[in-house]
Amino acid sequence: MKPPAWAQLVLWAVAGENEAEFVAGDLHEEFLLLCAAEGRSTGSRWYVRQVLRSAATLLGLRFRSGEAAHLVAAALVAVAMPLLLLDRLWSFVYSNIPFKDGLQRAPGFWAANVVCVCVCAAVCGSLARTFVRAMGVALAAAVGAGCALWCSAATAPLFYAGLVILAAPASSMAVFAWRRSR
Amino acid sequence: MPKGEGLGEFEYLIMLAVLRLGANAYGMRVRQEIATRTGRDVTIGAVYATLERLADKGLLSAAMSDPTPERGGRAKRSFTLTGAGMEAANRARQDLANMLEGLEFPLPGGSQ
Repeated sequence: MKPPAWAQLVLWAVAGENEAEFVAGDLHEEFLLLCAAEGRSTGSRWYVRQVLRSAATLLGLRFRSGEAAHLVAAALVAVAMPLLLLDRLWSFVYSNIPFKDGLQRAPGFWAANVVCVCVCAAVCGSLARTFVRAMGVALAAAVGAGCALWCSAATAPLFYAGLVILAAPASSMAVFAWRRSR
Repeated sequence: MPKGEGLGEFEYLIMLAVLRLGANAYGMRVRQEIATRTGRDVTIGAVYATLERLADKGLLSAAMSDPTPERGGRAKRSFTLTGAGMEAANRARQDLANMLEGLEFPLPGGSQ
């Protein structure tokens, strides 16, 4: 018998790497006891209630341990900042071209951005030591990329925006998995 | 005693639960012990936050055990009181006893 999958996902998303395994183990153990005594539906309800009521406290613990600072740094310094700086650089270069034709960014600019974001997110992913942290970094990278796109001067094509938001977490997780397999 | 070194009520309950449970003091057991003895519906998050805080203060020490199938293949983290923890628990008990001295219970208007 297993607890509701979505509640487990919420638990792994909010709990820090120091607590996630122990808290999940404790809840699982009590869930099995409750299921045996009062049935599965009671056990599932209890599990969901515990996860939802503990979410804020577990998030607070995650912030206190410094893990959240790493995630924010990954999102802002490694993904959002380079993207915004590239955007500003391109705006500066563009403003110095006389008689420019149109305001569209060159395809090379978009490609350079994607490569830059992938490299930065991959570096962040390589620094994560646990799966929980790597997942957090990947999520933070996606959020950082989204924020940078939202703040950029030029309107980004939909394909490019989607590519950046997906490529950042993907490269981060790929490098984490590669490092773990070695 | 400097401010912040005393035990809060919930911290004291957690330490007493750890003392009662001995070698079997881990998150779920501590939660159950408090729920059974006080009737409080305590969450596992609150228990872990307090256990971590007490460990940071040096009042508890933690040890990991091997993963077991009934925990979904996850490890367990057990807690024990340190010397400083014993001292803090004794001091808290003495403070409480000193404050209760001369008072008569149940207080008028209270249920218990």
